[in-house]
Formats: sequence, C-alpha cells, structure tokens
Amino acid sequence: MVSQTRREFLKLGLAAAASAAAASGIEIPLLGNQNSNLQNQLNSANTQVTNLKTKLNTVTGFVSLNISEQSLLESIVETIIPSDSTGPGAKEAGVIYFIDRALAGDYGQSANMFMDAPHNPPRTPASAGPLTVKPSTAWAFLQNYQQTAYLPAGGGGGVGAANPIPYPGASRTYTAGGTNYTVVYGVTASPRVGSGINYQYPVNMREFWRISLAALQAYSKKYYSGNYQTLSSANQLQVLKDLWANTPKTQTNPPPPADDLTGFSNILPSDFAYELTFMTWAGFLMDPLYGGNQNMVGWDYVGFNGVNFGNFYGEGLDQKTLMVASSPTKLKPASLAQYQQQATGGA
Amino acid sequence: MSTVIQETPVDVVCLGVGFMSGVVATELALAGNSVVGITKGPYWDYVNDYSTTKYDEWGVGLGRKYDSPLPLQSTTIRNDSSQFALPVRRYTMPIQYHALGHGVGGAAQHYGGGMGRFGPWAYEMAKRTSSAYGAGFLASINPQDDTHDWPLTYAQYEPYYVEWEKAHGICGNYNGSPTNSSSDVNYPWMSQNYPLPPHPMTPLAQLFQSTVQGMTAPNGQKYNPFPSVSALSSQPYTNQYGVAVNPCVYDGYCGGLCDYACETGAKANAAYRTIPAAIKSGNFTLVTNAYIYRLELNPSGNQVVAAHYYDAQGNDHRQPGTVFFNGMWGYNMVRLMLLSGLGTPYVYNSGTGTGTGTVGRGLTNGYTPYRGTNVSGTVNIGGNSYPAGNGSGGGVSVFDLMDDNFSHTNISPPFIGGGLFGAGGYLGGGPGNITFAGGVSAPNATNPNGAMGSAFKVTQQNKYLPTKQSVGATPFAPDLPTFMNYIDLDPHYTDAYGDPVSRLTYDWTPNTYNGATYLVNQIKAILTQMGATSVTVGATVAPYSAHNDWWGHHLRGGLRIGTDPNAGTATAWAALSGYNQLYYNSNTSGFNYFAAGEITNTTGNNATAGTHAAGPQSYRAAEGIKKYLANVATNVNYLSS
Repeated sequence: MVSQTRREFLKLGLAAAASAAAASGIEIPLLGNQNSNLQNQLNSANTQVTNLKTKLNTVTGFVSLNISEQSLLESIVETIIPSDSTGPGAKEAGVIYFIDRALAGDYGQSANMFMDAPHNPPRTPASAGPLTVKPSTAWAFLQNYQQTAYLPAGGGGGVGAANPIPYPGASRTYTAGGTNYTVVYGVTASPRVGSGINYQYPVNMREFWRISLAALQAYSKKYYSGNYQTLSSANQLQVLKDLWANTPKTQTNPPPPADDLTGFSNILPSDFAYELTFMTWAGFLMDPLYGGNQNMVGWDYVGFNGVNFGNFYGEGLDQKTLMVASSPTKLKPASLAQYQQQATGGA
Repeated sequence: MSTVIQETPVDVVCLGVGFMSGVVATELALAGNSVVGITKGPYWDYVNDYSTTKYDEWGVGLGRKYDSPLPLQSTTIRNDSSQFALPVRRYTMPIQYHALGHGVGGAAQHYGGGMGRFGPWAYEMAKRTSSAYGAGFLASINPQDDTHDWPLTYAQYEPYYVEWEKAHGICGNYNGSPTNSSSDVNYPWMSQNYPLPPHPMTPLAQLFQSTVQGMTAPNGQKYNPFPSVSALSSQPYTNQYGVAVNPCVYDGYCGGLCDYACETGAKANAAYRTIPAAIKSGNFTLVTNAYIYRLELNPSGNQVVAAHYYDAQGNDHRQPGTVFFNGMWGYNMVRLMLLSGLGTPYVYNSGTGTGTGTVGRGLTNGYTPYRGTNVSGTVNIGGNSYPAGNGSGGGVSVFDLMDDNFSHTNISPPFIGGGLFGAGGYLGGGPGNITFAGGVSAPNATNPNGAMGSAFKVTQQNKYLPTKQSVGATPFAPDLPTFMNYIDLDPHYTDAYGDPVSRLTYDWTPNTYNGATYLVNQIKAILTQMGATSVTVGATVAPYSAHNDWWGHHLRGGLRIGTDPNAGTATAWAALSGYNQLYYNSNTSGFNYFAAGEITNTTGNNATAGTHAAGPQSYRAAEGIKKYLANVATNVNYLSS
C-alpha cells in the first residue's frame, strides 16, 4: 500500500467528490455558460465547506510542540511505527497530534502524578555520596508525639548525617535459606522501566520531553553527523536503540565516555525511550477522541473493534457468543464518539 | 484555620466505603442503627458515570480517571529496610497495580472479579505445616518467619462466606472438592452452592477440563476441575437486601489488567450490592469527597471517640460515634492508625531480624512474583481477543495443586502451599493491555528492536483476531509473613495535607518462587496433555537482585487478627485489642491467604486482592458490632474471646 499523509488523502478524496458532482451536476440550460460558472462556483464553495468541516473534525495543528520538535518527533514516531507494505503507520494515524495534545494536557502537566520532593533521579552519580534527606515536619512531629516509636533501629533508613540513607549505589548482604544474597540498589538496580516508581524526576512531563528531545537531537548530530530527520532509516532506529540501551554509539572513534549522552543530564535515556515508544503506540491505538488513531487505522491494523460489540453496524452478532468462539470474527471498528452518538440518539 | 464542624453522633462510623464497609454499613443500618459512611471519592453511579464514557481506555485504563489521585496521596515502596523508599509517582502501563480505588465501591471499580474461597488449610497454615512437616519446617524455609494462624477455622467462617456470596451474587458450581463434604478438609467445602451459575465456558476451558479429568494429580487422585468462580453476575439476581442486579452483558472493557468499571452493575461492588440497601433503610448517611485524616481518642487513649475529615472545600469535620469500622484499603487503614496513635506501631529491627509492635506487621503479597519461573505453550484454538467479555468468567480451575492438597515431602527447593490454577478465561483486553503490556519493552532477544520498526509492527497485525493462543502460567506458592516485610509511615513524603504517607517494605519470600519450580512441571504436564506445542519452562530468575515494584498493591497483612496479641492486633471479632469498639477489616486482614497462579492466555494472571477472605470477615465484624452495641451500656467486654 502506498503511504499517504492524511492531508494528501483528503485532497484526493475531495477531488474525487468534485468529479462525481460535476458528472451528475444539475444543469440549467437557459442560462448557458453563465450557469456553468455559477455551478462551478457552487461546487467550489461546497468543496471548501466540506474541507473545512473535515479539518475541524480532525486534529491537524499543534498546541504544545514547537517547530523543531514537530519535525523531529514526526520522524521519531514514523521510525517507531513505519508506514510500510503491511499497512498505515504513525503518520496516517496522526500519532504526532496525539502526543502534542497529551503534552499540552494532563500528561504534560504531570497533573495526576505525585511530584513532591525529594527527587532521586536514577542517574545521580555515586560520587554525590549518600543522599541526606530531612524528615517531613509532620513525621518529625509524630516521632515526638509518639515517643520515637517509629525511629528505625540500626541501618533502617535513618535520617541525618549520623545515619544517612544509603541510596543510591550501596549494597548489603544477608542470608536467606542458607544462601547469601547481596542487595544492590541505586543506579545498578533502577526501577523497572514503565513502573510507577520509575519517574523520579523533578520536572513535569512536558519539560522532560523538551529536555530529552533536544538531547536526542544533539546526540544525533554529535554521533551520527546530522539532524535525526536526515538520518537513514537504519540510523534513526539505531539512535532510539542507543537510548534504550543507555549507551552512546560505540562505533565512534575515539569512543565517547560511558555516560556521555549529550544533554540528557540526569535523565536516564531509556526512560525517554520508554515514553517515546509508549506514547507512539498509544497514539496509534487509543480512541480517535484523543487525536491519534485517525480514521481508526490503528484499530483496523491490529484487528481491534473498538466499541463495536457485534451489532454496531447491524451485523447481528452478540459478544456473549463471540467470546466463546474458537475462531476470530473481524468486525469494523467503532469509535467512542460514534458509540455515544448512537447511544444518545445522535444528540 | 476554620472552625471544626461538629457532626451528629451516630452508632457506627464506617471509614471508607468499599466492599467491607458496604457489608457493615448495610447490616447495621438494616438492624436499626444510625450509620455514617465516609469516603474520599464520589458515589459512582454506573448508569450515568460508566454507561458511555467507560469505553475510554486512555482515560480509564491508563489515566485512571476513576481511581485515587496520586497528588492527593501516594505511597512509597522499597524492597528491604536498608533502602530509601521511592514514592509511586505515576500510573503507567502495563503495570497499574498501584492504583487504589476512589469513592463508593473503592478498588472494586477496577478488579477482575475473581472471588473464590480460601481453603481450610489457609486458616491453619502454621499448625498444619508443623503437624505435617515438623515444628521447625516453616522457620527453615521462610527467613525471619512470622506466620500465624487465623483465630477461626474455615468451618467457622463458612456461614459468613455464604452470606457474602449471597450479597454479591457470586457465580460458580462448587469448588472442585471430590466429595463436597465438611470432612474433606483439603478443599473449601460449601454448605450450599454459589447463588448463580457459572458463565459460559470457552473452548480452551473445555479442553482444559476434559484434559485434566483424565489426569492424575500429584496427590494420586484425578484432578477435580470446576468452573472459575466469578463475582460478575451471570443472570438477573436480587440479593438478601433486595438489591436487584443486572447480568453481565459480555461487552468487554472488563478484564485484561482489570482496568474497568462495570457499566451494567454486574461486577460485584458495594455501590451496586450493599450500599443501595443501606441508603434505602433511611439509617445510613453517605459522606463523599471527604478525606479522613485522624481518629480522635479519649483522654485515656483507650477509646476512639471521633473521626476527623476534610470535605471537598477543605472544611474540618468531626464525626463522633459509638463504634468505628475501618474499611479502608489495607495500608491506608494501617496508616490512619499510625497517624492517630492507635495500637502499637510495628518496628523492625534489621539487626536481630525481628520486630516489636503489631500495627503494620506481617505485610504479604498476593501477586505473581517477578522471580521464579514460568511455563508456556501454544494451542490451536483461536478466538476474539478484543476487549475481554468478562474479567473472571469462562474458565475452569483446579484446587488440586493448592494448599496441602499434595504432599510437600522431599520437594526441592522446599515450600508449602501451592496455587489455584485455571485456564480458558475470556480472551483479550484493550490495546493498552495487550499491545503495551506485551510490547513496550527494551530491545531484547525476541524483539531486537524492541517495540520499534516494521519487524515489531507486523507482530501486532491482527493481534486481536488470533487463530491460536498461548497458554501458560507464572505460578507461585503463598507468600509467607516475615518480620522484614511491613508497613510504616514514610519519613519524607506527605499527602496533600502534609501528613506522612505509608511506606511499604516488601520483597517476595522464597516460598513464592520456590513453589514455582515445582508447580511449573505439573502445569507443563497438563499443557502437553492438552496438545500444546512449544511448551517451554522459563529460566529461574535469581532472587533478591532488583529494586522493583512489580508486586504492586495486591497486599495483605499489616493488621492481623489472631489469638496471639503480641503478633496480631485484633480479636477474632476483628475488634482492636484494648479498643473494643473499633473494628477493622480490609483486604489486608488475613494472616494467610492462598496464592493463585492460573493458566491463562496471558502469563501471570492475578488473584483479586484478598477479598476472598476479607469478605467473610466483614460479616464477622458486623456481628461483633451488633453484639457490642447491644451491650455497650453495661460496659462489659463481650468480645474478649
């Protein structure tokens, strides 16, 4: 399948519609050529109205990404889900618009995240020494109020210089079932990518993306000799793999220092690689309501039916039967907006 | 600071309005007592709140729009007491197990609806293990062992199970006991069947059932398969409180990672089973969007006299009562007690490997370990993998690999217990579950480019229309209480009002993953017999190697009931020792529980967090509260036994 941008697709669709109108157009013979002009103008106006209506119903602008981010991120999402012979990709789904809207909204604002200090980014260098964090006022009060009942004994995560919290980079050994185990935590045992405790950065998601996108571009320039958008497909993929691996390109001579991912500062590049991959797939497969998965091309590709429970388009099937079937039934997907229109009688 | 708003005193104050308070509030209100239920969230009305907007995977499944907001209150977690505990910062996919419930119904807004019973063994795990394998056996396999038995036996809880199952419209067909008699101690005998029949069985479930019926279990008997027990009603139903229940419509957006609220009210939840009856009685007052921050004690510190909460406008309220029932989520229940100076805080001593105190002690987990091993294969049965029809029905389970239903003598590495296994639940989930859960990971041997590029993309094509499916299990044996796993207050992080959040110190105990080593081979035999191809046992992941939070919030323990006041905090009536008018109950009330690994289309299916045993305990607590209220004037401790 030849890949098209959404805008190109619209143009083609409209041209086809105009031809059809011309072929079946109403003619008013008495007015001759003048009528033909009027008819053409009418057709043209109708086309523009349709065009505008379609645009209003489809996300095509940006509210958060700046100009350089738009073009960079467009290349990245198309690397992650390419448009290829198997079907449409991130481009046709409008993934970039999904991410843009997310960055401008709750996701970018970290509105539903717990963002209080202290923050312990995973790349805090061991040379920074043990982290010393003061207890919260309420906690200190409770210790006093309850006669130090909670003050931990021994090395149990104490507070202050006399009993620093050994994080990150420390280890301890203990015995279980007759075997000695060493617990290492901090940098070498950072939380699983994508887990709830993974994001320990002091900036919100929008800033995280701003810093990381700029760092990715700088990295591309430094080690792949060009803007990300200009790299070969293979190198574009390789840059993202470098991020996932938290290692810079090793082919460079001389090899860069082990932690040189230019500009990422204390952001773990794999954390950004996770966000990129996650948000790209989300933009491909979440409801079109959020700006991505336009025309439900993502759902169509994976065979997901959205909110078509078997009879949305009058197929006459029911999900209770479908759920105990031993072979799949492909249904045309329906979106949440379509479902709501049907459920509320089109109101 | 504004003045404190004084509320009218009532007989019973329910803290939190989820499953547990649903039972207590309804039982007490219908008995003529004045009851107030206080929840930090809204009253979700499924007809209006869920019927159209729940089909929004980004908002519900990933944005957790019906769940507890993290900026209001988070929690911190670490794997052992020497670590700095990291706060849960966000809700993410694939793992969402940190999301707590919000509002009436609580976490039941987002569970799958698994609702089987504990077996008799679970209530007497310590005693029976000691008797079968020697007095020192538990201590030898469980470092810093702190296992204690429940104060009552299964037989004593059985009537409460019946009430619980009637109230919530549980579906099933007995429990796989060969005789279903009270003398069959290894299986949860039932004095009467589940109130509703099971859900329609999938082709995979039928294959599993017919296969194991012809196989010999490790106990030398044939396997006894039975329909998976589900808390989603299979038929129209009216419970003992007169609350009418709609049946499941199999519309999906249900299972997967248990993300979804139920738009027909078929999935059991206090909001659609118990609370409507409490409200109808006229004796129940529901207070929503109210954040409880303290319990107030009398001057001598042995009675709770009021609950304090902030309303949505930040006003400070004082709600006096005669009895207080704490039905919050487990670690929030513990947190409120610690904040209020109620009970003796548990303090762990890593030097001696023991601890003192009880509030926060004995934290255990009910979820698949990150460690241990797994087994998987492929069967040539297709299906419709779009949003799962129903979170917990359609499958078949066996008890025969659970509890002490087979001999554990001479098994290496040693463990006790086992798991409930099943197969054939309804397939699927939304793309957020299937694609993200399985897909967004770093480049690895299977996907050299990770979830990126054309090679990965094509693996997603028609993924929701499978012509065959993988079957497997990440089994685990019960997590055992140890001194090193516990709940306390975090020294650094606070909630939106400046009070310390709870800190969870937890890692899997060896029993969980040692059990996996044995159980995978039993399951491998079943999969092979089912005709699965490419049956593979995964490598064992070494224990104690990573700081991670995969265990999520399927936690139990932390405030245990028991006969030993030094180990548990409450009497058999769930009344706090020394404070006989405060009751508690939640998913964490149990000393023990069974672990449920299941053979499903996704590995590592979860056990719905602990409601199996906490539910009956809520009826026990309601009975205790009735006794207390009937005798409160005489000031006699009727609950000392």
